[in-house]
Amino acid sequence: MIVTYNWLKEFVDFDYTAQELCDRLTMAGLEVDALEEIGGGLDSVIVARLDAVEKHPDADRLTVCQVHNGSDLVQVVCGATNHKTGDLVALAQPGSVLPGNFKIKKSKIRGQVSMGMLCSEKELALADDSAGIMILPPGLQPGLPVFDALRLKDYQIEIGLTPNRPDCLSVVGVAREVAAMSGNPLKLPTPQINPSSESIEAQVTVTIEDAEYCPRYAARMIKGVKIGPSPDWLVRRLEAVGMRSINNIVDVTNYVMMELGHPLHAFDFRLLQGGQIVVQRAQEGQKFTTLDDQEHTLVAEDLMICDGQRPVAMAGVMGGQNSEVQDDTETILLEAAYFKPTVIRRTSKRHGLHTESSHRFERGADIDMIPVALDRAASLMAELGQGTVLSGVIDNYPQPLEAVVVSLDVARVVALLDIPIDSETVQVLLESIGLRVDAGDSTSRLQVTVPSFRPDLEREVDLIEEVARLYGYDRIPVTMPVGTVDASLPPLRQQVQKKLRDAMVACGFSEALNYSFYAADAIDKLRIAADDPRAEHVKILNPLSEDQVVMRTSLVPSLLETVARNLAYRSIDLRLFELRPVFLLRDNGDSCEERLTLTAVACGRRYPEGWAQPAGQIDFYDLKGVAEQLLETVQVTTVEFSSDQPEPYLHPGKSCRLLQSGKCFGTLGEVHPQVLAAFDIDQPVYLLEIDVESLIPLAGEYQKFKPLSRFPDVIRDSALLLDESVTAAQVLEIIARTKLKYIENVVLFDLYTGKGIPQGKKSLAVRVRYRDMEKTLTEEEVVKAHNKLINSLCHQLGAEIR
Amino acid sequence: MKEQLRQLQEKALSALQQAADLKALQDVRVQILGKKGALTELMKGMRGLSPEERPVVGSLVNTLKDQFEACFAERQSELQQQAIAAKLAGEKIDVTLPGRGAVTGSKHPVTLVTEAVVDIFSRLGFAVEEGPEIEQDFYNFEALNIPKDHPARDMQDTFYISEDLVMRTHTSPVQIRTMLKQPPPIRVIAPGTVYRRDSDLTHSPMFHQIEGFLVDERVTFGDLKGILTHFLKEFFGEGLAVRFRPSFFPFTEPSAEVDIACVICDGQGCRVCSGTGWLEILGCGMIDPAVFDSVNYDSDVYSGFAFGMGLERIAMLKYGVNDLRLFFENDLRFLRQF
Repeated sequence: MIVTYNWLKEFVDFDYTAQELCDRLTMAGLEVDALEEIGGGLDSVIVARLDAVEKHPDADRLTVCQVHNGSDLVQVVCGATNHKTGDLVALAQPGSVLPGNFKIKKSKIRGQVSMGMLCSEKELALADDSAGIMILPPGLQPGLPVFDALRLKDYQIEIGLTPNRPDCLSVVGVAREVAAMSGNPLKLPTPQINPSSESIEAQVTVTIEDAEYCPRYAARMIKGVKIGPSPDWLVRRLEAVGMRSINNIVDVTNYVMMELGHPLHAFDFRLLQGGQIVVQRAQEGQKFTTLDDQEHTLVAEDLMICDGQRPVAMAGVMGGQNSEVQDDTETILLEAAYFKPTVIRRTSKRHGLHTESSHRFERGADIDMIPVALDRAASLMAELGQGTVLSGVIDNYPQPLEAVVVSLDVARVVALLDIPIDSETVQVLLESIGLRVDAGDSTSRLQVTVPSFRPDLEREVDLIEEVARLYGYDRIPVTMPVGTVDASLPPLRQQVQKKLRDAMVACGFSEALNYSFYAADAIDKLRIAADDPRAEHVKILNPLSEDQVVMRTSLVPSLLETVARNLAYRSIDLRLFELRPVFLLRDNGDSCEERLTLTAVACGRRYPEGWAQPAGQIDFYDLKGVAEQLLETVQVTTVEFSSDQPEPYLHPGKSCRLLQSGKCFGTLGEVHPQVLAAFDIDQPVYLLEIDVESLIPLAGEYQKFKPLSRFPDVIRDSALLLDESVTAAQVLEIIARTKLKYIENVVLFDLYTGKGIPQGKKSLAVRVRYRDMEKTLTEEEVVKAHNKLINSLCHQLGAEIR
Repeated sequence: MKEQLRQLQEKALSALQQAADLKALQDVRVQILGKKGALTELMKGMRGLSPEERPVVGSLVNTLKDQFEACFAERQSELQQQAIAAKLAGEKIDVTLPGRGAVTGSKHPVTLVTEAVVDIFSRLGFAVEEGPEIEQDFYNFEALNIPKDHPARDMQDTFYISEDLVMRTHTSPVQIRTMLKQPPPIRVIAPGTVYRRDSDLTHSPMFHQIEGFLVDERVTFGDLKGILTHFLKEFFGEGLAVRFRPSFFPFTEPSAEVDIACVICDGQGCRVCSGTGWLEILGCGMIDPAVFDSVNYDSDVYSGFAFGMGLERIAMLKYGVNDLRLFFENDLRFLRQF
C-alpha cells in the first residue's frame, strides 16, 4: 500500500517530518518498506519565463530562447515547438540531474551557448509521455523550484501491510493511525451532492439473490458525463500511489478506493439490459469475459453482478467487458457493495485474478463506508465529467450487520503484558483508533464496540494487542520467565546426528546442503531398476522449475552434481557429505517416509597437495576407513561388508553393502563409470551411504572400559601364501575362532602379488601381538599359540608360510 | 726424575688442550697413560730411586695422574659439546616450508549456526524437537489459526504434495505436534528445513528456520522480550540494540517483529539495512488462544510465546555472506571457510 505525505495531511494534522512519520508508522505496526521523495533532488529545476524565442541561426528545428531565471537573463537552446515568448517553463539549470541520471551541463549547440535545458513532463517523471516542453500555469514566480511552485513536492510512503489490517488499505485508514499517534482529530471527507430532479429509482432496480454472499449493494447514477482525460492533480495522485490514469470516470473510482478504501465499479448504464442489477451466483460452466479481455469459465460458487440478461461483473473482482465505460458513455451506474471475504478470495484464486478490489474485499472492506464512498465518487464524477447526479440512492441492505462488542478484562491486559495500566488509560488508547468503550459500572471490565472498519478485532486478545501496540512495545518491561526447566539430554537421534557430523568433519569431509527436490529423471542416471522403491517419488504438484519436481529418494544424484560443479571450478580433491532425509513412498504411494541418510563422496588426492605429502589417489579403502571410523563413533560393532548384490550405480567389483545381522544399512564403493559419464565426471569417485535411521537404534552411548595389561607384549609376524580368492575376512575369522586368549590384536600389514609369488596366489602378512593380563608370557607359550594359529590357517585355508 | 715428571706434566696438559677432536684426545691419553705411554715409561725409572725418594715421587705421579684425568674430562666434555653442536648445525631445515597438514573438513555454515542457537537455548532449558518436512495441512496451517481461504495463507507460498499434504512452510507445526503430545510446562526449540514457493536473489525455495516456544502459567510479553533479548545479545554481542515492533502472525497475538541494530554498519544505515540502521531478524508473539484451543490447552490457565527465525539470514549476518545462493551451491571454496 502506497500513500503520500501530502495526501495524509488532507485528513489529519501532524508536525512529523516524512522520516519521523515513517519511523512512527513502523513502530505502530505499519512497516514502512520505502520512503521516496517526489521531486527529490530537483530543486535546481526552476520556474523560468521566456522573454524572447528566436529561430536558431544554423538549425531549422531549434530555437534560441532568452530565459529569465528570476534574477538574470540566460540563453537556452530548445528543440521543442510548443513554446512562445511569455510562457513560463521548467528550466533545468546546469548541474541538475534529472530522473534516469540524466545530467544537465552548460553546452554549445550548433554554435549557440545553452545554459541548461527546458524540460518536458516526461523528463521530470511527471508523465509517462509528453509532447513538447512543459508550459507552466501563469502567475508562478520565476526562480522558484518547479516542484515547490506547483506544490508537487511530496513523499511516497510504501507500507508493507500485514493481512489483518484491511482498514489501512486507504489513505484515510493510515491517517486514522496518524491521528491516534499525534492526538489530532481525523477529518473525514463530507461529499456534497447537488442532485437533479430525476430519481435513480425510476431508472434501475437492484435485487440481491444471495444476501449471504452480498449483504449490501448500493448504487448511484450520474447522467450526462463526458468521458475524457483526468485533470493533472488526479493523474499525479494516482501515479504517486502506483496506479495508471485511464479516464476521468474510472480514475475517480480508483481515487476514492485509494482515499477511503472502498472498491467501486462504474457501469455504462446503456449497456445494462432491462435497467436491472441482479446479484446472484453464476451458472456452472457459463463463460464471462472480464475487462482485461480474459475469458473465464464460471462455477456455481462465483458471485456475479448481472443485468436483466447476463453477468456484467465478477463481484468484487473485476468488471465485464460487456458493460465497461467507453469513450462515448454518458450515463454511469456507480456500484458500492460489500461481499463476503471468502467468496471473493475463492473466485479471485480460482480465476487467477488478483485486483486492488479483490485484495480489499477478501481482507474485509468497511460495510459502513459504502454511502460515503458512493457520494464521494458521485460528486467527483459529476464535477470532472460535467454530469449530474440523480437524486436518491439505491441501498439494498436487507440485514444490517450488528456491531461487534468485545468484553475486555483490564486485569488480563496487565497479566499478559506485565504493564501497570489502568482502565482509564486502556479506554483512552482504544478510543484513539475509533473504538467505542463503555466502562459501565465495572472498574475493570470494559465493553468495547468495534467499528466496521476493523474486522480483525473479534476477541479479547485482539484488543490486548491493540493496547500493547498503542502503549508501545518498547515500554513493555524485559523480564525472564520463571518456572520449570527441562534439563534432559538431547534425544539420541540428535546426538547421533551430531556425532556423525563431527566424525565426518574429522575425516576431512565438508558438509554440503542440496535442495530436497530434483528433476523427475535425476534418479535414472543411477541405472536404478524401474521396480526399485527409489524409482517412485513423492511429487510436488506446483513445482517452481523442471529441476525441482520430485522429492529425493537418494542423495547421490545431487552430490554427484555437486562433484561435477566443483570439478568445473577446478576443485579436484573433494570430500563432501550430506546428512539429510530422503523421501520414500510407502503403502502403494499413500504415505511418505522421511529417512535420514548420510551420503559421502570423495575423489582426487588422498593427502593435500604439498611438498611433503605422498601423491596417492583416494580409493575404496579410504572410504571404507571412513565407514569404519563412523561406525566406531556411534559404537556400532559387528558390521559385515558384503560384496553380494552390488548397487547398480557402483562398480560391481569395487563395492559392498554394510550389513548388521544380515540387514543392509549402507553401501560403499567406487561409482560406476557409466554413472560418472552421465554426470560428466571424468575421474573416479568413491561413495558411502548410510541409512542413519537404521543406525540410531543400534548406536551405543558409552563403551565399557577394558582393563590394561601391565606385562610386556610379544609380536609374531607371518607371511601367508594364499589363493587369490581367499578374503581377508576369512583369515581374520579363522584367527578369531582359535579363541587364543593371549592375542591382543591382529594387523594385516602387507599384501603382495607379483615377483616370487606363483600365479593365482597372494602373500598376506599377519602381525599378531600376544600379551597376557596376569604374567609375562614365556617364549614357549608364544610359540605354542602362534603355531596353533598358523596350523589353523594352513588347514582351513590351504595357507603356506613363506 | 722430578724434573722429568714436571716436564711430562707440562707436555701432557698442553697436548690435551691441543687435541682437536675426541679421537685425538683419546690418542693423547694413550700416549701418556697407555702401556707404552710416557708416564709408564717414566715410572720404570722408579726402581732406581732410593726408598726415601720413592713415596715422594709416587705422590707426584699420582698428582700428575689426577690432574691429567681432570683436564681430560674437561676437554672431553668440551669436544663432545662441539661435536653435537657441529652435528646439529649440519641438520638445519627450512622452517618456513608448510607443515604436513591433514585434510580438514567443515560443517555447513547453516549447521554451525543451528548448533550455536540450539546451544544458547539449551542453556535456558529448551529441549530440541523435530517434525516431518512433508506436513499435513492441519499442522502447517489449520491448527495454527490459518484457515483455508484466509488471506494469511498468501504470506507463505506453498508447495503442495496433495490437497492435504504440503512441504512445511515453517517450523511452527512442531509447536502443534509437541503440544498435542505433552502438557505444559514446555520449553522447546525446533530447528528444521522449510520450503516456500519463491526463488530469486533473496529467496530460496528451501531454507532453514528455528522455532522456539515456551508455555507455562503466567508467561508474559515481558518474558518473550527477555528471552529473545538475552539470545540476541548472546549471539550477536552484548552491546547490541534490539527493538520489538507490532506485526501480525495468525498464530500469535500480540505479534512482534524483532529488529537488531544493523551488524554491518553498526546502525548507521547501509545497503544491507536499506539505510534504516535496523535489520529484521525474527518474528514472535504470545501464542494465540486459537492455537491453544486446537491442542486442548486451557488459555485461561496457560499463556506462552513462540518465535521463529531464518537460519540462513542469521548465518549471512554472522559471517558477512552477501549472497543467499552460496549456501546451496556447495562450492568447496565456500564450504571450507567455515
